[in-house]
Amino acid sequence: MDEGLIIQTADLKKSFGKFDAVKEITVEVPAGSIYGFVGPNGAGKTTTMRMLTTLTRPTKGQAWVNGYSVTEEPRAVRRSIGYMPDEFGVYDDMRVWEYLDFFAACYDIPEGERKRLINDLLELVDLSHRRDDMVDKLSRGMKQRLSLARTLAHDPAVLILDEPASGLDPRARVEIRELLVTLKDMGKTIFFSSHILADVAEICTHIGIIEAGEMVAQGSMDEMQSQMMPHREIVITVRNPEAAEKVKTLLQDVNGVLDIKDLEPQAGRSRIQINFTGDDEGVEAISQKLSEGGIAVLGFTEETKDLEAMFMRVTKGIVT
Amino acid sequence: MQDLTRISLVDSPEEALTPREHRLDFIANILNRGAIINGILAIIVILAAALGAFGVLGDTFTTLQNVSLFRSTVAPDTASLMIILTMLLNTSLLLVLMTGVLAREGWAFIGIWLLVIGNVAALVTQGFTPGIITILIGLWAGIIAGRDVRAFRMNPVMLKELRGRMRGVRAFAVLTIYLGLMSGVTVLLFLIFTALNRSEGSAAAGEIGRVLFMGIVGIELLLIIFIAPAFTAGAITGERERQTYDLLRTTLLASPPFVIGKLESALSYTLLLLLAAIPLQSIAFLFGGVTEVELLLAFIILTVTAIALGTVGIYFSAIAPRTLSASVRAYTVALVVTFGIPLVLSFILNIFTGALFGTGTGITRSPVLEGLLVYLGLFLVSINPIATALASQQLLIDQQVTGFWTTTLSSNGDTIPMVSPWISFTIIYLAVSTVLIVLAIRRMRKVEA
Repeated sequence: MDEGLIIQTADLKKSFGKFDAVKEITVEVPAGSIYGFVGPNGAGKTTTMRMLTTLTRPTKGQAWVNGYSVTEEPRAVRRSIGYMPDEFGVYDDMRVWEYLDFFAACYDIPEGERKRLINDLLELVDLSHRRDDMVDKLSRGMKQRLSLARTLAHDPAVLILDEPASGLDPRARVEIRELLVTLKDMGKTIFFSSHILADVAEICTHIGIIEAGEMVAQGSMDEMQSQMMPHREIVITVRNPEAAEKVKTLLQDVNGVLDIKDLEPQAGRSRIQINFTGDDEGVEAISQKLSEGGIAVLGFTEETKDLEAMFMRVTKGIVT
Repeated sequence: MQDLTRISLVDSPEEALTPREHRLDFIANILNRGAIINGILAIIVILAAALGAFGVLGDTFTTLQNVSLFRSTVAPDTASLMIILTMLLNTSLLLVLMTGVLAREGWAFIGIWLLVIGNVAALVTQGFTPGIITILIGLWAGIIAGRDVRAFRMNPVMLKELRGRMRGVRAFAVLTIYLGLMSGVTVLLFLIFTALNRSEGSAAAGEIGRVLFMGIVGIELLLIIFIAPAFTAGAITGERERQTYDLLRTTLLASPPFVIGKLESALSYTLLLLLAAIPLQSIAFLFGGVTEVELLLAFIILTVTAIALGTVGIYFSAIAPRTLSASVRAYTVALVVTFGIPLVLSFILNIFTGALFGTGTGITRSPVLEGLLVYLGLFLVSINPIATALASQQLLIDQQVTGFWTTTLSSNGDTIPMVSPWISFTIIYLAVSTVLIVLAIRRMRKVEA
């Protein structure tokens, strides 16, 4: 087992009858990372998570969470994880604080400490004002945040979240995303699945792409980008077409620039897209060239839509 | 979600994580061993007594009494029956306490010490030497448990369930309606009874009291048959259907506290209904004809029935894929046990009485066979709450017996020891309940393969 990996699997396989839901995959999640587990619906994300959370036994292979084997030491694994399934388990007839109190008791937290813990958790997920409300009266986003608070009751090292942002409105989605970043800053490792790439791209440090039960790509965001995307895209915004022409001629012979295209003007401003193979020094060279040429640049951005492209490139669209 | 009926299951360990959990496991292990030792000894005593009864081994009854119940003044054969039943009771109580300790229930800790005290009392007053095993086991377990009393806590599942169940006016409205209906039935019974007797002439006040008492107990029994399985049949399947089962399985909540907590919350409400009706039953005292002993026996029989049917519900809830199928199975068992068995029995009994007393040849000449038939009859009565209640009451009225008694065989005029059915009923039902709880816990420990 690798020391720096908090979740690690070896040839993890799960079959339902003749159907292989997960085919001998290797998942490697470094401690302290936000790991986005991406794949189309039915790719085996939930099955993998259920194996990691000891809810289902692997057909073959082994997995370790926080150094404990999921088959040999399931309770030690359960103590290390906070799990949020993709559906919110509703207990009707329960108040928000009672919901947290119940789960805290399930984690054997003494009664004397629970009251303070609940207040802290509710404050963290910004639900203090709904403390005495019934759980089923909460909005979907609030329920999701309450779920997240629940997974934190016993201060686990790893959070395993199945589709935490699915079915949420944009505002709630942003709130969850911000919460995840806060939790990472608190030292937790977050392993979450999603089929929405935007969620993953914004906050992940690491990413794994699964398709039809197979891990097609895995690594840190930077690694993945340089691996999958041989060229980078930079969009430069200038005031008018004349400036745009100047930029074009200036950059034509810069080392590594592949091609230069005009984009549709936005709000009367001209935009130019530059594809180039290069590292950060290449980007510096471009901006230096522009300032030397005396061109007033309104915008200079590196496009991040390449994750989408990366996703399209590695997945073949096979969904079983 | 996959089809729950088709998934296969494998055992999954529930390893102890903290020193406290290791200690509790150890205590449960001690109690488990104690139960096994008691059970094996009980079987040996039963075999010895049976061999003695068949005349193979000489007078084993006297030997058994001299060894195991030497201070008792009852007849040796009755003493042997007492020894066997007490050992069986010890066995099932030790198993109950074992699950209680695993579930970290406060009553388990108190129960261990009560069991020790009870066995010491039996040893001192009756000379019950087999109790020494239970005393030693109990002392060992009790002392270790006493080092960390905080390990025993309020069951989180029970607390959660009761919070939900007792919230708002609903629980109290149900209680009020229930008591209102019971009162109505009582009044109705009284009116019908007095009307019938007015036309026939005099009515003894005691008879009115008895009819009222039996009527209320009968309705309560009916209520338990319908309520106890209903409260528990959805306990585990309901969590699955609400998709909260997975949440609970990934917490540190082990299977024993989960199963016991569900059972406790269901039973505590049933018990509340039973306790609330006691004042109503006590109206019978105004008319006479009913004693406090009958009231107590009725309460014990009702409670034991509720516990047993509750565990039947829990068991099916653990193994069935849906609440519906769990309910159907639990109700089937409850109805067969309470109504099906008496129907079949009365049919068989008719044939048997014909064979025994009608033609009067063959079978009745053999005292051994007659003795076996008498015990078979006692056993059959003891597996049915209605038969148990009626037989125990009849015995109380006819012979003022609540414990052990003797009956005379018609074949050779010998007497054989008997026990009031409520005792054998309680032991059988508690044992079956414990087994069902253990099976339900075992099923909960499994994960999808």
